Amino acid sequence: MTKNAMVDEWYPVGLFSQLTKDGRKTALMGEPIEVRVNGNGGAEVATAEGRVLPVRVRYGHVWTSLGTPHKDVFAIPEAEAPGRRYVDVGVVRVRCSPLRAVENFLDIAHFPFVHTDILGAEPHTEVENYKVEIREDVDEVWATQVKFYQPQAAKSASGGITTEYMYRVPAPTCSVLYKTCPPRPGEWDVITLFVQPLAEDLCDVWPWMALYDDETPMTDLIHFQQTIFLQDRSILENQIPRLLPLDPGMEIPTRADLTSVAYRRWLKRHNYTYGAQLVAQ
Amino acid sequence: MPSDTTGFWTPVALSADLPAGTVMPARTSAGSIALWRSESGCATASADRCPHRGMRLSHGFVRGEALSCIYHGWTYSRGGSCTRIPAHPGLTPPETIRVTTHAVEEVDGVIWVAVGEPTGVPPRFDGLAAFRSLSFGAGVAAIEAAADAKATAQGLLDAGKYRFLLAPQEDVLTLAHVLLPSDASPSDRIAASRAAECMRRTAEDIQTKGVA
Repeated sequence: MTKNAMVDEWYPVGLFSQLTKDGRKTALMGEPIEVRVNGNGGAEVATAEGRVLPVRVRYGHVWTSLGTPHKDVFAIPEAEAPGRRYVDVGVVRVRCSPLRAVENFLDIAHFPFVHTDILGAEPHTEVENYKVEIREDVDEVWATQVKFYQPQAAKSASGGITTEYMYRVPAPTCSVLYKTCPPRPGEWDVITLFVQPLAEDLCDVWPWMALYDDETPMTDLIHFQQTIFLQDRSILENQIPRLLPLDPGMEIPTRADLTSVAYRRWLKRHNYTYGAQLVAQ
Repeated sequence: MPSDTTGFWTPVALSADLPAGTVMPARTSAGSIALWRSESGCATASADRCPHRGMRLSHGFVRGEALSCIYHGWTYSRGGSCTRIPAHPGLTPPETIRVTTHAVEEVDGVIWVAVGEPTGVPPRFDGLAAFRSLSFGAGVAAIEAAADAKATAQGLLDAGKYRFLLAPQEDVLTLAHVLLPSDASPSDRIAASRAAECMRRTAEDIQTKGVA
């Protein structure tokens, strides 16, 4: 495989709270790595051959890179606001392209069919027009004014509401979702999808949340989010081809898929093609 | 066994295993298909891939006379054209959005699918009825060795008290439908069912040891 620009990006490789001295063996883009806590209580990551990799600890996770990152792990300023509860959801392994996992996270039209009676329900299937842009100044994909009717938008929601969303793609395998917060109108809940590419067609998905919710037990919050991602997995492991087609023709987008269209265009522009299928291949 | 891929009828499943209003995955020599039966009872074989996002249609659901994708609910008629995109209820989907469909025939409880233009009609086995299907982790040669008999060009193999109707799936995967005389008693059926399971173990042993 040709080396591509994704080598120089940061990726999540484990929960900081679960690190041990013995280390956790995992992989990043086909390369075996080990993540452990060192004598000073910090995180350490090295390849199987002993090459020490750069490390950051952000949003409950350990981040690393096989290459030379040109910038730091992206910021989520909203998550720093006081009063939020941080939820380390854990990991879901999915036999799919890491890029397909992100694209599915950006999609709302599947809610009534895949997350039935939780994030969506028939007959409320219509996706209204929303705004999508690639913000050149920060080099991120953004979708705003996304609205959808949801029977139970969050663990803290009772009854159906029209939820408003904003999506952001700050890195090729990461997305941040800002979502209407039932207990605090005017604020946004932060739900993220951090994807660790194990191989081009295999990934570990690490969801993480920063919520305004002091009521719901932590176990329930984790269960709620795990239920959602397990439902997504049944889709992601059955898409053909397993890699994300970046060239037009293989799949048919509609207006509801404009976030995905922008995401694919942005990936292609940056040569972020680990997990992608190109016509030339 | 026929080895050409186009025009031949493949016995993909038994009618009894596909109730009205359901969909199941099945295989032909040309790959995976979504085999479904409408509420009114018509069986259809569609390509197993929704052209929207590549999701397998065999994971979908049947309502009325149409098959829908489980991912976004895109709905396909028996003829293969997309009739509904739920994200855009007011939109009539363009005719270019469609899935390939294949000819289907049901004969004496067996569902046959032809990939491409069918050559003639599927074979009939007079006086025989199919009553269960088994998946063998073995190729046709190993099954023939286990039964000490040769399959006919139509895939029929005489195993003594019953017959197998064989449909090769992949190199070492074969779907075998068990056929018995239409008037076989329940105890004959149970005996044939057990004998077929024995035959499967033998054939899979032969396959594993590479004898065939």
